[in-house]
Amino acid sequence: MLTASHLSRRFGDRVAVDNLSFELAPGEIFALLGPNGAGKTTTLRMLAGLIAPSSGDIRIGGETLTRRNAPRLRQRIGLLTEAPGLWDRLSVRKNLEVYARFYDIERPERAVDEALDLFDIRNRAADPAAQLSKGLKQRVALARTLLHRPDAVLLDEPTSGLDPESARDVRELVLRLRGERRTVVLSTHNLDEVDRVADRVAVMRGRLVALDTPSALRARVFGARVRVVLATSEARFAATVNAAGFQDVRTTADGLSVGVDDPQSSAPEIVRRLVEAGAAIVSVTDEQPPLEDVYLRLLSEAQE
Amino acid sequence: MKRAVALLGKELADLRLNPALFLPAALTGFVSILLPFFVAIVVPAFAGERLSDSSDFQIAVELYRVQPGLRDLSSEGAIQAWIFQQFLVLLILTPVAASMSVAAYSVIGEKQARTLEPLLATPLTTFELLAAKVAGALVPAVSLAVGCFVLYFAGVAAFAEPGVYQALLTPASLAIVFLLGPLAALVALQLAVCVSSRVNDVRSAQQIGALVVLPIAGLLVMQLTGSFLLTLPVIAALTVGLSIVNAALMMVGIALFDRESILTRWK
Repeated sequence: MLTASHLSRRFGDRVAVDNLSFELAPGEIFALLGPNGAGKTTTLRMLAGLIAPSSGDIRIGGETLTRRNAPRLRQRIGLLTEAPGLWDRLSVRKNLEVYARFYDIERPERAVDEALDLFDIRNRAADPAAQLSKGLKQRVALARTLLHRPDAVLLDEPTSGLDPESARDVRELVLRLRGERRTVVLSTHNLDEVDRVADRVAVMRGRLVALDTPSALRARVFGARVRVVLATSEARFAATVNAAGFQDVRTTADGLSVGVDDPQSSAPEIVRRLVEAGAAIVSVTDEQPPLEDVYLRLLSEAQE
Repeated sequence: MKRAVALLGKELADLRLNPALFLPAALTGFVSILLPFFVAIVVPAFAGERLSDSSDFQIAVELYRVQPGLRDLSSEGAIQAWIFQQFLVLLILTPVAASMSVAAYSVIGEKQARTLEPLLATPLTTFELLAAKVAGALVPAVSLAVGCFVLYFAGVAAFAEPGVYQALLTPASLAIVFLLGPLAALVALQLAVCVSSRVNDVRSAQQIGALVVLPIAGLLVMQLTGSFLLTLPVIAALTVGLSIVNAALMMVGIALFDRESILTRWK
């Protein structure tokens, strides 16, 4: 649905985005992670046809984005900017109606009514946008972004500054977009959010540092680990697992953490050995180090 | 053009909710109307002297006496008609002043309110965006000018000597208000929109756009000194000239409107 090939963008001598490539499928949620100034917003702006890449190209639904066809292809893109960008004096309804007309929606009033219902803001439709809370403004901005049912939705820090309830609403919406087979590109600093919704993650620092699924990135940075919680943690159980050929075994307060090549095939063997040794197993899980640790490690490796 | 019309609707709705933006322009219009009434009617009435008592205005009397259909005007009426005719040029200032503040704010205002990026992310073309911004400033400005014109002529009909109203309501007067005024306003506001899309400060756009006031002021001075009269052929020539300038400005505006630099350079 959305392809970036060797995308680069320079501002004078500064390289904001360097040789970025990815291909996104319909219904995929793709997160862009990176520190401030890493080129996330520039990437989103290029994908939205707002600024042209210095080199490389973007394809939307198989068609290469150019200056000439950008206005037409923008019809297939929905961009949520970092700030909601509502016209403060106008009512919520008027804000949405104007945008519905920009996108040439056949029955704009009906589309706006549906959006107001979908985002549960009908009771505030007549209020000037200036009177809304930050969370509500973001909801209106999201409604505006999705009014024309774009194939690709680009979200620039959609939960920034929102309270937990509003942030959860946004996350649920993003997941709903996946169900509707829309491609979502999400730029964020919220790693928990990425962990919850993203299918794939690109860690950027101007250039691409890493691109994979969150679990694959974890495995790549920290290796795969199986965590076994035991009713009683005893040192001999670590030796048992070690004797079974697992070299990287750590004893924790409530059990063991075992480094493995493949959790799917290794976990049953570990469990079998422990049960034979008389261990009372409470739970066995695929150990997930926080994505934040993965992210920071990747960035520090990229810097070295 | 549907998208431009939608944006124009937004611009007008926004203005309706912020009428204070037009206060300076309305004041300019009001002063433009009031000034000739002071000169031609109020001051002579307070001084207890008629304008026709002074030999300074004999040129006006002679000017109007030679025109067929105006020979019946009294000397006082001829002088009043001459004064009201000269000050008509000030009515061109009303739409210029009215459009300036709105146009100067058009692009920078969107940028400062952080509403520009979502707007640029829509299928709206640069021409549609600029056309809507220009029209959004022009429509209320011309409406204000028409309002001033109506008040001006109503005042003349009510307070001036008999026949002055008819002497003033000529094709040239109508052309000044309904052709030159809007065209001059269009130049001013296109300049302001162009500048608004290149500078980071509303004040810069206003100051540069206000340069258009200078030729209008010059026109008034030349009218009053009799060195240049806005006759129909002159108005026609100015209309053509301003139309060409406006077409060129629209093209320049589109060429100067650089989405990338607006998004990335401005903070």
